[in-house]
Amino acid sequence: MALTSLVFAVFCTITVAIYFIVPKKIQWVVVLISSVIFLFYNNLTVGTIVQALIVLLSSYFCGRLIYKYKENPKKSKAFLILGILLILGQLIYLKYTNLFLATVNHVCNLFNMDYQFQFVQRNSLIGISYYSLIMIGYLVDIFRGSTRAQDNIFKCALFMTYFPILSSGPFIRYEDRKEELYGEHKFSYESMCGGLVRILWGLFKILVISQRIGMFVDTVWADLNTYRAIFAVAAILFFPLQLYTNFSGSIDIIMGISEIMGIKLPENFTVPFASRTITEFWRNWHITLGAWLRDYIFYPLQKSDVIQKLNKKCKKVFGKKVGKKIPLYISMFIMWVAIGVWHGGAYTYIIGSGLLQFLFIFLEDILGPISKKINNKIGIHTEVFSYRLYQTIRTYLLFSFSMIFFRAPSVSSAINAIKSCLMLNNIGTLLNRSNLSSLLGNIGLDMKDFIILAGAIFILFIVEKLVLKGNVRKKLFEQNIIFKWTVVYALIFAIIIFGCYGAGYNPANFIYRQV
Amino acid sequence: MEKEEIYERLNNVFRDVFDDESIVVKPETTSNDIEDWDSLEHINLIVAVEQEFGMKFNMNEVTTMKNVGEMVEIIISRMN
Repeated sequence: MALTSLVFAVFCTITVAIYFIVPKKIQWVVVLISSVIFLFYNNLTVGTIVQALIVLLSSYFCGRLIYKYKENPKKSKAFLILGILLILGQLIYLKYTNLFLATVNHVCNLFNMDYQFQFVQRNSLIGISYYSLIMIGYLVDIFRGSTRAQDNIFKCALFMTYFPILSSGPFIRYEDRKEELYGEHKFSYESMCGGLVRILWGLFKILVISQRIGMFVDTVWADLNTYRAIFAVAAILFFPLQLYTNFSGSIDIIMGISEIMGIKLPENFTVPFASRTITEFWRNWHITLGAWLRDYIFYPLQKSDVIQKLNKKCKKVFGKKVGKKIPLYISMFIMWVAIGVWHGGAYTYIIGSGLLQFLFIFLEDILGPISKKINNKIGIHTEVFSYRLYQTIRTYLLFSFSMIFFRAPSVSSAINAIKSCLMLNNIGTLLNRSNLSSLLGNIGLDMKDFIILAGAIFILFIVEKLVLKGNVRKKLFEQNIIFKWTVVYALIFAIIIFGCYGAGYNPANFIYRQV
Repeated sequence: MEKEEIYERLNNVFRDVFDDESIVVKPETTSNDIEDWDSLEHINLIVAVEQEFGMKFNMNEVTTMKNVGEMVEIIISRMN
């Protein structure tokens, strides 16, 4: 059930309507039922029921046992490990079998062995990467004493399957969300309006911007020999924007629905493309994933005896400043590989969203102080608009480069894309008028589309600028009634008229059908 | 140990970790007040504080402490 589909809109409307009609005490039951429907929608098999039950039962029972034996660290730790192994086991089995097989095949190739494993098809539930990690976090939090175990298995199931976050996150923590998830919520007109505006903004980002860029990017990626040079470069540069408007737009829809139901979720993005370094970028992009990895992988690793011993040794050998960095880089490397693996069971993700990000952050950390010294020496002002702009553009370019691997179906295809950017032969023929119009025609976008896209990106730019200054929706609702509603209606009509609902779609049909 | 003494020793740890002799920590000091205090340095700071006072923070405290004041309260509770 796509977040932008009509089915999802109807599904949410019915859920919200029932949610506010039933006695407040059982509102959470309504959300649980909707969540179960959402989870198994179009994917109800014995296998999917079993995989959901494995996660639910292991987190519920291990959670209670960890809590029960909190005075007995050995027992409590044993149940924590058991719970993590069960949840991680099903996740690895369902999502990473092929990554494992591909690695084995590569190793076989390396040693000239003939044996090759066939890839397998596994049917996993929507949101498996989210709810598996969320439930591991739940168990670890109980073990650390940050929260207590949930006694009611159905409430535990709601925390695991809360439907808005299944498709795109954000990651949530039990202790922070439990009161809102199980609490009683009165209908609030303000929350309703606020939530709806956020949903509309999300739809605008996805349907008007992301889908439209997607048509261009997909066409170029499908034929990198024809769409070479400037086309390939443009597709690579536009992809981060496509990804961002899609992902953050989805988050807007998710947060909007939750807000209507009185459930606040943590923000997942804060204007990432305004970041001046990749390090800063990752503080503003997919924030809740970063927080999860920091709390459950990076900190425990850094505090572990192995890393601490290494820390002491390195400080002795390399001195305090350099010495403390080596173990830090090792922990960071492990964390970035984990981020890459989490994004998907393929090498492209490990390189694109893991290793390259680590490399950039590593280089920034090493070169940062050097460039600071050079700038000071030759008198370059770094706190001025032009330098900030240079840093922002550099960050965007680096991220675009890494996303070549993220977007590519395989590593060799990513390398092809880079080569395609450099195919500058016969550039005149490529860009002559008739050729250009036929190439653009095949993309499915005409001049009007490019103008709409430019306008929409400009609006996005303005809104993001305002977001940096404060709460945009709050400011909007403080305006006069005419201005307020003009903006809302403009957004609605922009989505209906300029929304890109897939190739061959005629917006007029949509409008007429509504009448 | 008096609170003042804890703050004095903490001050030295902070100056050492962040390599900045001008740091003066107060109860309300947070990561926003010290330029290099990000999530990477946070754990180095924690370990340095643990070594200085010969105690351990649990992971819940590591991730939830909001300012230096809270850190000091935890140190005092461990000392007793």
